Amino acid sequence: MEENHISFSTPKSNMAENNQDLYPIALLMDELRYDDVASRVQAMKRLDTIAIALGPERTRSELLQYLDEVVTDDEDEVICIIAEELGKFVPLIGGPQYAVLLLPILEKISSVEEPVVRDKAVESLNLIGETLSDAQIDSEFVPLVEKLAKDQWFSSCVASTGLFKGIVARVDSEKRKNLLNLYFSLIKHEIPLVRKSSATHLPEIVDQLSDKFANVDNDEFNWNIIYEMFQVLIVDHQDSVKFLSVEVLICMLEFLHKIGNKTHHEALLQNVLNLINDPSWRVKYMIANRFEKLVEAFHDDQISLSLIGEFAGLMKDHEPEVRKAISEQLPGYVRLVSETGNHGLQPDANKDIIIKEIIPCVNSLSEDESEVVRAALASQITGLAPYLGNEATIEHLLPIFLHMLNDVFSEVRLNIISNLQVVNEVIGIERLSNSLLPAITSLAQDKQWRVRLAIIEQIPLLAEQLGVSFFDEGLGQLCMGWLDDPVYSIREAAVNNLQKLTQIFGEEWARKDLILRILERQDDLINFIHRITSLFAFMKLIPVVRNEIIKTDIYPFFERLIKDEVPNIRFNVAKAYQVIGETLLANDPKEAPVIESTIIPQLVQLTNDEDVDVRFFATKSLEGVKKALSNYVN
Amino acid sequence: MDIDLDIQMKDAVEPDLEDQQSSSSSESFDFPINNVNYSSKPVELTSSNINQLDSWIEQLTDCKPLSEESVKKLCSMAIDVLKFEENVQPVNVPVTICGDVHGQFHDLMELFKIGGPCPDTNYLFMGDYVDRGYYSVETVSYLVAMKIRYPKRITILRGNHESRQITQVYGFYDECFRKYGSATVWKLFTDLFDYFPITALVDNKIFCLHGGLSPMIETIDQVRELKRVQEVPHEGPMCDLLWSDPDDRGGWGISPRGAGFTFGQDISEQFNHTNDLDLIARAHQLVMEGYSWSHQDLVVTIFSAPNYCYRCGNQAAIMEVDERHNREFLQYDPSIRPGEPTVTRKTPDYFL
Repeated sequence: MEENHISFSTPKSNMAENNQDLYPIALLMDELRYDDVASRVQAMKRLDTIAIALGPERTRSELLQYLDEVVTDDEDEVICIIAEELGKFVPLIGGPQYAVLLLPILEKISSVEEPVVRDKAVESLNLIGETLSDAQIDSEFVPLVEKLAKDQWFSSCVASTGLFKGIVARVDSEKRKNLLNLYFSLIKHEIPLVRKSSATHLPEIVDQLSDKFANVDNDEFNWNIIYEMFQVLIVDHQDSVKFLSVEVLICMLEFLHKIGNKTHHEALLQNVLNLINDPSWRVKYMIANRFEKLVEAFHDDQISLSLIGEFAGLMKDHEPEVRKAISEQLPGYVRLVSETGNHGLQPDANKDIIIKEIIPCVNSLSEDESEVVRAALASQITGLAPYLGNEATIEHLLPIFLHMLNDVFSEVRLNIISNLQVVNEVIGIERLSNSLLPAITSLAQDKQWRVRLAIIEQIPLLAEQLGVSFFDEGLGQLCMGWLDDPVYSIREAAVNNLQKLTQIFGEEWARKDLILRILERQDDLINFIHRITSLFAFMKLIPVVRNEIIKTDIYPFFERLIKDEVPNIRFNVAKAYQVIGETLLANDPKEAPVIESTIIPQLVQLTNDEDVDVRFFATKSLEGVKKALSNYVN
Repeated sequence: MDIDLDIQMKDAVEPDLEDQQSSSSSESFDFPINNVNYSSKPVELTSSNINQLDSWIEQLTDCKPLSEESVKKLCSMAIDVLKFEENVQPVNVPVTICGDVHGQFHDLMELFKIGGPCPDTNYLFMGDYVDRGYYSVETVSYLVAMKIRYPKRITILRGNHESRQITQVYGFYDECFRKYGSATVWKLFTDLFDYFPITALVDNKIFCLHGGLSPMIETIDQVRELKRVQEVPHEGPMCDLLWSDPDDRGGWGISPRGAGFTFGQDISEQFNHTNDLDLIARAHQLVMEGYSWSHQDLVVTIFSAPNYCYRCGNQAAIMEVDERHNREFLQYDPSIRPGEPTVTRKTPDYFL
């Protein structure tokens, strides 16, 4: 621990004179001079505590001065924390009228080369900017931004690009024009990093202007400058700058929509086409990734339809990343196409064009060589069903579903299965039962347990639609089989599934097809896992069947297990007794004597078990059952 | 079978560490650990302790580390449980036996999804909870909390990484420092590790330990004679039990790890025969399938950290032993970890 006193003179002694309570604060200030970085980081995180203790005046005069001095010498980790903390400092230095005092320190930090630090400083500057009055913005903030933007050092320029969004809409027309022209110079900057950063932040600026000035008659939006910036961006020779123009374009189109102007559509559409045919895959990827949003931003049926060829083209792109991105846009774009001319009144109105242009590409994507592309398609393809309607889904999509259900890559199958409900709503379950059931049965034995889990979760839906006889024939055996799965999570899901099935098919069915079948297995169930799974299954069934079934069929099962050699079984019997007791009483308060004479003595017996956990759970259950009894007796 | 090339780093011992060791081993004289017939027994948990533990377990299940203050209480409660356990801790069947976890907290949660939650399922972990993975603190806190809460349902043995020296080199020390801003928590846990039992005996038939056999140990009773409450020594029987590996060559061999030995099938045959054992279950080595038999099924290696170090591409496994001594191996892959670096599973061999 170095007592390395820098300019901020001996706070310890100063404060000790003023107030004994401030002594810990003096310690903190010493910590800020620690040799190791981790301690200084920790200390800096408590900067607000120091400021509160010092009060606004001394924070302004002493703490800020001290920070101003240490800030550029310290390690990036420490500076980063200072930058973050200062963003919350406005109330601590006496309110917005003093906020400008924070700007010089953060200005210094923003020129640090480390992006993490710089971004924190920019974030804090923006927070402080929000608290400033328009006059302070004019006199202090705008000059700061201008100074950073014109700096020789690239890092300052990069920092400045993040600061325009907070001020462009707050200054007067002339200043705004100047600021935008200054921004234009950053868009054209010779250093790619600066261009990249300014392109990244341009959409925020466009949104700010659009929000504020869409309803203003004269061109406060400065369309021409924005449009020129965009035109410069789309011909930038760096891919990583060029592709950022897609986001800018979307914002510009939204602005045009707001003011009801379509005169630029033709030119902008041409720009889109150029970007789609760009030689760089990253530019195409960006277009593919934003396709739905971009098309929608035009708010123009003709344009939505006219881009169908380009959409299909991207689905055939030779770069897997592009095909994956465009696959994810399928339902979104198809929705736009189907809405053209009728605006959603009839979802499958434009199905012919979709079948002709899109489905062949979907077909080939379903056999794509890349498994990530197929998985992406599988997660989206079911979303097409509503736009094709019943017949066309059966004719064109069902074969693709079935094909993908047999994909070698399990995620593909999983994605199809998880989205079956959408298909069900369109073509009905009968079609599913005939065509999908065999596939599901084979997947129920998939070696990936998460695939098996996904199927189990679909079972209640299928059961509801299929009806009991078909279910018993097709899926009943499967559901019982999952109780013996080697993976616990599957057995757990299987048990929950039985509860849901009982709620669907009723307790008579449950008794005959579940409870008696589980009981039949008991003779062979020498294994602990089988016994405890049956126990869990009954525990889940108790709340959904009537008292008679609990008493005659289920209770004897537990009574047998109460002397099981494995303590884990015995304490789960104890837990089950609470469920039995509470359920019996809730169904019929007249069961109280039965509980008093059967369950209570057995639980008492378990509270004297040799195993500590059995005693614990038995005691807890006993309390629970007694409480339930007293509630019903009174 | 790949050797996990941890090496003992004598240089890593800081001067003050020697003091620590001697102080902790002097403490150990207070406990009659060599005496098999204990006069005292661990105190049963009070209901406020149970509530405390349950809330810690809940917090840790979300992978949120406990406060330093709580770790202090946790470790002191754990010592009160572990000091009464034996060098050869008896374990009943059914039990699920697991190998190295190495701070891969989310994979530990996956393990419980595969094997079933504790306390419904009984577990035996064979060491190496810390180092390498990103969540050693959460992993070891969770297992220790479960141990205190359900001492009869879970057994945690000591691995070669549960040591002051090794944790300073392989990550646990740095992780504690990063998460708590000081080495206090590291010191609390490494002091606790001294109390962990070093072996377990499942129903008198399966001998479980982290590493392997020692030329100085012929009978299990000899393990019972050891003074275990101390830092893992650089040599001798206790070091060997935590460091040795089975080998295809017969007899004893020099271990490439610089600690422990390699032992051949003849050694395992003799040991299992002398002690009337069915099997030696151990961990300590990365095996691509998660488990691996050696010495004609006399020794099994179990490794429970899938995609070890987030890059090895191995499966993990656990071994369920039921009440009739039927064994079932369950293999599993890494859990899905949102927000963690996704590392390609295909790694060039020269990285391993």
